[in-house]
Amino acid sequence: MHTKYLLSCLLLSFSSLCWSQSDYRSGKEITTTLQSIASKNSKLATLKSLTTTHGGNDIWMLTLSEGAPESLPGIAIFAGVEGDHLLGTELAVEIAEKLLSNHKELLSQTSFYIFPNLSPDASQQYFERIRFARKGNALPTDDDRDGRLDEDPFEDLNNDGLITMMRVSDPTGQYKPLDEDERLMVKADIDKGERGGFHLYTEGIDNDKDGKFNEDGVGGVHFNKNFTFDFQYFTKGAGEHPISQKEHRALLDFLYTQWNIYAILTFGPANNLTTPLTYSKSGASKRVITSVLKEDEKINALISETYNDIVKQKDAPKSAADGGSAFEWSYFHFGRLALSTPAWWPKKFKGDSLNEAPKNKVANFLALADAQNRSDVFIDWKSVTHPDFPDKKVEIGGLHPFAMKQPAYSEVDTIATTHTNFIVQLAQMQPKLAWVNVKQEKVASNLTRITAELHNSGQLPTHTEMGDKSRWLRKINVYLKLKNNQELRSGKPRTVIEKIAADGSVAFSWLVQGSGTVTLEATLPQAGTDTLTLKL
Amino acid sequence: MKNTIQLHICLLIFGVLFTIGVSPVRAQAADEIFQAAGTPSNPKVKIAFNQYYTAEGLAALGKKIAEAHPNLVKRMSIGKSTQGRDIWLLAITDYKTGDPERKPGFYLDGNIHSNEIQGGEISTYTAWYLTESFGKIPYVTQMLKDRIFYIVATINPDARNNYMKEPNTGSSPRAGMIALDDDSDGLFDEDGYDDLDGDGSITEMRRKSPSGNYIIDPKDPRKMIRIGPDDVVTSQRYERLGREGIDNDGDGRINEDTPGYYDPNRDWGWKWQPDYVQRGAYKYPFSAPETRAVADFVKAHPNIAGAQSFHNSGGMILRGPGAEEDKATYNRADVAIYDAIGKKGEELLPGYDYLTVYKDLYSVFGGELDWFYGGRGIYTFTNEIFTGFAYYKDDKRGRDQIYDAAKDLMLGDGFTPYTSYNHPTYGDVEIGGFKKNVGRATPGFMLEEEAHRNMVFVFYHAFHMPHLSIGDVQVKSLGGGLKEVTATVVNDRLIPTHASQDLKYNIERPDYISLSGANVIAGMIVEDADFNVTQEQTSTPETLRVANIPGNDTVMVRWIVKGGNNMTITVDSAKGGLVQKKI
Repeated sequence: MHTKYLLSCLLLSFSSLCWSQSDYRSGKEITTTLQSIASKNSKLATLKSLTTTHGGNDIWMLTLSEGAPESLPGIAIFAGVEGDHLLGTELAVEIAEKLLSNHKELLSQTSFYIFPNLSPDASQQYFERIRFARKGNALPTDDDRDGRLDEDPFEDLNNDGLITMMRVSDPTGQYKPLDEDERLMVKADIDKGERGGFHLYTEGIDNDKDGKFNEDGVGGVHFNKNFTFDFQYFTKGAGEHPISQKEHRALLDFLYTQWNIYAILTFGPANNLTTPLTYSKSGASKRVITSVLKEDEKINALISETYNDIVKQKDAPKSAADGGSAFEWSYFHFGRLALSTPAWWPKKFKGDSLNEAPKNKVANFLALADAQNRSDVFIDWKSVTHPDFPDKKVEIGGLHPFAMKQPAYSEVDTIATTHTNFIVQLAQMQPKLAWVNVKQEKVASNLTRITAELHNSGQLPTHTEMGDKSRWLRKINVYLKLKNNQELRSGKPRTVIEKIAADGSVAFSWLVQGSGTVTLEATLPQAGTDTLTLKL
Repeated sequence: MKNTIQLHICLLIFGVLFTIGVSPVRAQAADEIFQAAGTPSNPKVKIAFNQYYTAEGLAALGKKIAEAHPNLVKRMSIGKSTQGRDIWLLAITDYKTGDPERKPGFYLDGNIHSNEIQGGEISTYTAWYLTESFGKIPYVTQMLKDRIFYIVATINPDARNNYMKEPNTGSSPRAGMIALDDDSDGLFDEDGYDDLDGDGSITEMRRKSPSGNYIIDPKDPRKMIRIGPDDVVTSQRYERLGREGIDNDGDGRINEDTPGYYDPNRDWGWKWQPDYVQRGAYKYPFSAPETRAVADFVKAHPNIAGAQSFHNSGGMILRGPGAEEDKATYNRADVAIYDAIGKKGEELLPGYDYLTVYKDLYSVFGGELDWFYGGRGIYTFTNEIFTGFAYYKDDKRGRDQIYDAAKDLMLGDGFTPYTSYNHPTYGDVEIGGFKKNVGRATPGFMLEEEAHRNMVFVFYHAFHMPHLSIGDVQVKSLGGGLKEVTATVVNDRLIPTHASQDLKYNIERPDYISLSGANVIAGMIVEDADFNVTQEQTSTPETLRVANIPGNDTVMVRWIVKGGNNMTITVDSAKGGLVQKKI
């Protein structure tokens, strides 16, 4: 009996050890994981729902900090800004776990505000019966602005559970197979004497008979299109005006009360980590600034170098921030140190002895998949009957909607580790106020001159150049606090300093009449507080 | 404070006695009144339009108007202010004619800037005038059959009260009442103005100073004259010390963190920019609850086709663009419509100029009128109520006319003479100057006229919102059991169902012109009747989707039908309303 019990116990623990996640986690699973993180680390982690979306999903915020989070400089992490970037959510959760298990000491120096999934309505589409790369939340919207809501959705015509592409053989069609890989369709270049032969649409029927396919299906406002910077009015997914959605308002209403946040890292299509942003004089000198500012360009370059040293992923895709995105907002309108990376992208196929490397990005990706004998990335074209084209050859096929957006789940842990290491490094760079060279000089009996320098010992300035312009970052407040029997004969009891550069310092001098102790305090939410008590 | 409470109690007791006792004053009997042209005579609701009302005062007037005219007014709260006050809206139309929600709507509000108070009274005057004149003035009666007015007397009730009840200048608080940390010390609104002389207004502080740059005007002790570099000064010099106040938080500065500061008129969702670009912007578009309430209401009422907001001062009829960077949004076709209404406004409002914000005032992002037009395709004006011209109906009297007016027209009311005060930081100072109700706010004796003239400007705009009808309908037999039905839809007013801005982005859905009661075989828009140029719509031909019904113009449509002895044509336009005609 005893042995048997022991054995089954062993088996049980063995199987639980062996069991590992094989695919991306659903919203429900993520929620359970977050709750378990918070309950297992109740002293360091707090889980809060900022709001629920139109689709009834929570917008979770996981705060990691030892003590009051707002008393430490903070880093915010945005994940799931695009609903089809499930990797970001996984990373956010795993980074939280790794910070808690491997970098506990950091939490007494830096607070982390982790938003694991900002598009929970959209990301859930990955787990539905019909999967497609969805970005819109659950608000019914009139994407084609014809007065009807969600009237022309996708249809899974080949019943494979995926929405891919649809090509229709037609002499007036403008698409043709790509020379490098005939599975892919490209627009024929008439100037080069090419001919089309196919119409190309997304998979579905023209439900509203307006000649357009699937132009207004389920999926409302894209989280990453509804921010204020360069908002794209009246475009699909943007929303009627910036910050029109509950989740945006809840997030911003929270962040605008967190003066301590100095950096925001976004997992999404924008990328200023493998390649830093570059300054443009014309963009930086207009009233509405559209370029990174000169000093911030330098900070970005420094951090980008750190990222590339740690993450070591080559051939990153071009940054995509197309207006209204969270990343653009976090820099241009919130003035914080703004960082963004997709965190993963397909490796480049360099060619081998048999095959030349295709130039087309997708063809290149397919060539690599072929070399790896992967059969799950492309759905071969197959004919279907289509009610809108009764007399024509219609085929469904194309790239798997998630193939180029995320790695195999088994790779996620490694990506999470490198990105945790990067974040730890970023936290080490944070601005830090410290009093140095504090001296007292007896000028006369009962009259003391105090001199001191306030030093930023961090590798980052106290304010980005952009943040320095914003009322939503505090200035540095310096106080000399006196007792009733003391009088300030020179110097100010409170001084406001705009900013201090990395490794920069500001000198102060006061003349105090009286005896006893005085207190010197320098405070800035995003750089901490340094307090010194001096005995005169 | 204690004294004030006692005084209130006294007044209350007096008021109660007064009402239960036999009233020594009775209301005027109808036969004792002779009507002045253009003004409702012996109205159901009696309102004095020579004074201003607090937020609660306006709310009470709105309630009275609604209760006196239940068939014309629905009163609703569209949201709560920062301090929890209701933002009251009066929806005024002839509820017995047509579907109120489907009539072209005109939105007007006042007081977005808290100290710019006249909008509250002008809006209330408009609501009062519409309801009291319905059934008496045919123009108004027809207006309320055709249109619905959405009137919000104040969209900033908290700060309106702050302006009126707390010591302020004529220009404060302007903001709403969300506390902000203006001086970055971690404290919110901790160093506002202080009414040191107790006159209820924040005026000026001055101090005798041998090196001061001012002297008192020897001909008018209310005025300060600046000394020029070559002036030989024999009288006492003064220095000006700014607005009345003390250093409440001991930081070495005076009045540096007053209530606010953000500007509710930098909070709207068209090309919004943050504070470092556009001073006064709050967190994001519609981040102040008051503007958010308006935006939510407007988004839920696609029938709104015209809008007006009231500010003060300067005598301006303003259109967008607010920002120079937004010039391209206002295209020629729409500007022509703005011009037609704005120029009429110059006639109706003597002393007012029709101007464009970015080039005639300042270049500004996030304003209300820009969101209404840019974001919703609604033609919108902002009037800056009151101008010094009004005092003497003369624009050549210069800056000093306010001193003359305060003396001769207001008989000295509105100016606090300078008196001595012992200031904790500055020592002996003198405090005095114009009270907060002089300069921007219209004096009482001119307020009703200003309200009336601004109202008729609103009516002119509202009159010219799209007004649709189905004109000529011809039915022709085509043989083989087929009939051709051709109908002309008329818009006999200036404003189209879709502004050019709207057409550019498909802001509002197309207008639907549909035929029921027959088997519709084909449907088309007739682009040129003479040469029979048509554009066929193959899907749902019974409901033709028409991009626009232009102002003072027609749209012709045609169907080929089978059967159809009881046909009905329906025009369904979001901004143009719903009309039907049986054939």
